Amino acid sequence: MASDPQSAANQRIVEDLVSRLRRRQLVGSRATALETLLVLRQVVSKARFSNIDQLVNIIRSVGRRLVDAQPKEHSVGNTVRKVLHHIREEYHTANEQPAVESSFSIAKFVLQGQPRKQATIPSSETRVPLKENDPDDPDSFARVLKPVLMEAIQDVFDELETVYDNISKNAKDHIHSDEIILTLGMSKTVDFFLKAAAHYRNYTVIVAETAPFYGGREMAKSLSSAGISTFLVPDSSIYALMSRVNKVILGAHAILANGGMFATSGSLLAATAARSYSTPVVVCAGQFKLTPLWNLYHEYGALDFGDPSAVLGFDEGDLVDKVDVVNPYYDYVRPELLDVFITNYGDHPPSSIYRLLKETYDDEDNEL
Amino acid sequence: MRMCVSVLIHIYDESLPSEGQKLSTPLAAILALTEMMEQSNAGTMFELLTELKGAAEALSRQSLNPIGLKAGCELFIEFITLFPHDAASFSELKTELIRQGQHYAEQALAYRAKIAELAFDFIKDDSVILTHSYSRVVLQTLLLAHKRKRISGEISGSNATCEYFSSHVLCFSVFVTEARPRGMGIKTAEMLTAAGIPCTVVLDSAVAYAIDKVDFVLMGSEAVVESGGLVNAVGSNQIAIIAKAANKPFYALAESYKFHRMFPLSQYDLPSHNPGVLSFPQTMSARARPASSGLPSKASSVLFDNGSPIRMTQEDIARNNPDVDYTRPDLISLVFSDVGSLTPEGVSQYLVGMFAG
Repeated sequence: MASDPQSAANQRIVEDLVSRLRRRQLVGSRATALETLLVLRQVVSKARFSNIDQLVNIIRSVGRRLVDAQPKEHSVGNTVRKVLHHIREEYHTANEQPAVESSFSIAKFVLQGQPRKQATIPSSETRVPLKENDPDDPDSFARVLKPVLMEAIQDVFDELETVYDNISKNAKDHIHSDEIILTLGMSKTVDFFLKAAAHYRNYTVIVAETAPFYGGREMAKSLSSAGISTFLVPDSSIYALMSRVNKVILGAHAILANGGMFATSGSLLAATAARSYSTPVVVCAGQFKLTPLWNLYHEYGALDFGDPSAVLGFDEGDLVDKVDVVNPYYDYVRPELLDVFITNYGDHPPSSIYRLLKETYDDEDNEL
Repeated sequence: MRMCVSVLIHIYDESLPSEGQKLSTPLAAILALTEMMEQSNAGTMFELLTELKGAAEALSRQSLNPIGLKAGCELFIEFITLFPHDAASFSELKTELIRQGQHYAEQALAYRAKIAELAFDFIKDDSVILTHSYSRVVLQTLLLAHKRKRISGEISGSNATCEYFSSHVLCFSVFVTEARPRGMGIKTAEMLTAAGIPCTVVLDSAVAYAIDKVDFVLMGSEAVVESGGLVNAVGSNQIAIIAKAANKPFYALAESYKFHRMFPLSQYDLPSHNPGVLSFPQTMSARARPASSGLPSKASSVLFDNGSPIRMTQEDIARNNPDVDYTRPDLISLVFSDVGSLTPEGVSQYLVGMFAG
């Protein structure tokens, strides 16, 4: 595998990110996704490999360390999976082995549906042949493949950079004039989405302040400074106001394979209230939040807890040692409570998230 | 042609028990069709397809519960129709198609292991599982889980000082419904108990009583239809309804060859439904009717001779009761299949991929 001096250099940047993740100096799904991508780009550019398996193994081992450092930041693992998927794709196109047609079987028929008549384009362009495990020149494989891989990683990067714009592209189709929208927490995605819609529509936003982190206050400030008529309300009044709300728009921390999601605590409250009034619940999230996970071991939350002092600080000295205080970051919202996910890859109902996952990642990477 | 069919039925019946318990109906149907192709002397694709369709029809006519069988036949026939080939002669193509069919039947035996692997992640420690009737894929999943958990239990148990845990790791337990009228649940219970999995048989009528103790339902299937609904041994539907009412997940396990292009809107749209099912006895005319229906007249005389209609045998009851029922997709949480863990809606994606487009 990679020779020592290079892997040592890789070690350093990986180690740096690992410790920042572990200390929670780096939080937020997009931020972690971007940082992960930067590290992976470094790793790939410095890696020495003479076949695809070696490269995949290098990336996986880096990915595993990052995920282990902070398993709750799902977008780290997702980014690694996505990069692996792209690398395999590039490898297959570069390898120019159309592993189709000849081996059509019933199993394939079930999996891929009817055979398509593909006009096989004879590749006229002269390619540098990919040679794996060349004993004379073990670096030749990497030399040929690397530029393509860097391009692929750059694509993922660009996608992350433009994710907000792409999600908000269709905002005006989802929000109509004079509607009342309810949202909570501070989600950049939702912020962009609402502001994009404000260019075309005149509407009102009710923001729940989302104790104890009060992301909602920040959100309300940001929205009202953009000229949107905004109300800031306490969390406890979500249900009371729901009868007047036309739509609930939420952000997500991670979208799970069954179409449920982890989102800021309070989202479950809003979604449940919305359900009882049959108010549509719309979730805005980038595709990098798609996580090939089933929420199996915790019914209601993500088992990710924040600093309890925000709920009950030490100034309440008499109480502190008499009660257990929990301050969960995230709620688990069941797929039944959600109506649609708006992603940079189009709008999807919760029931087709599994398919999006299949298209985005390779099955073998679900377990890094 | 006529001869072909009788041979075919024979082959189908043969291939069912001969492979032990391994082969499920759709695969047996595919094997029977390949066998028929070998013996057929059709000279063109059209002739071959007509023969195959006739054979499939004949097979399903003589079967009491043709759903699984039809799923297999339709898959194979559709595959043959669409098979892209560059064979020089028809006989060459035929040989290739036969090879494909046999290869698939062989390959598909591994699907259960794949499904067991997927479903395994959903079996938490100490969970209580409810299953219905007898399903090989469910059984395999439970056995796999038992094996794995026992091993991991022993590893963690060896660290613990307590010897008890290493030998008696209780990782999960199973409720099996009796599944009248065929009582196949007993078979499941026997096999699970033999493997050392704690298992209790519950009455079909006691599911609602037991559901609060259950963590999730694991269900095998005869077929999964286009709506994502499930066709399975009768009783599955009511278990699904009860599970929904109690807010418990209901997981269906189905190999992809059980995906069937059918869209039943009610129980009575299933091909297994016939006027005899759920019919009311005609008390007066029953006596007068000659035994032309082929049913043993003895059974009905038990019913009516001494004027006490209470004395019924199990067979009497089973006769006008359904074998399978249909479970609506909204009652199903997930379908585990060899192509992945799907939401019920996901099944239609594969069916549309194969049969439309």
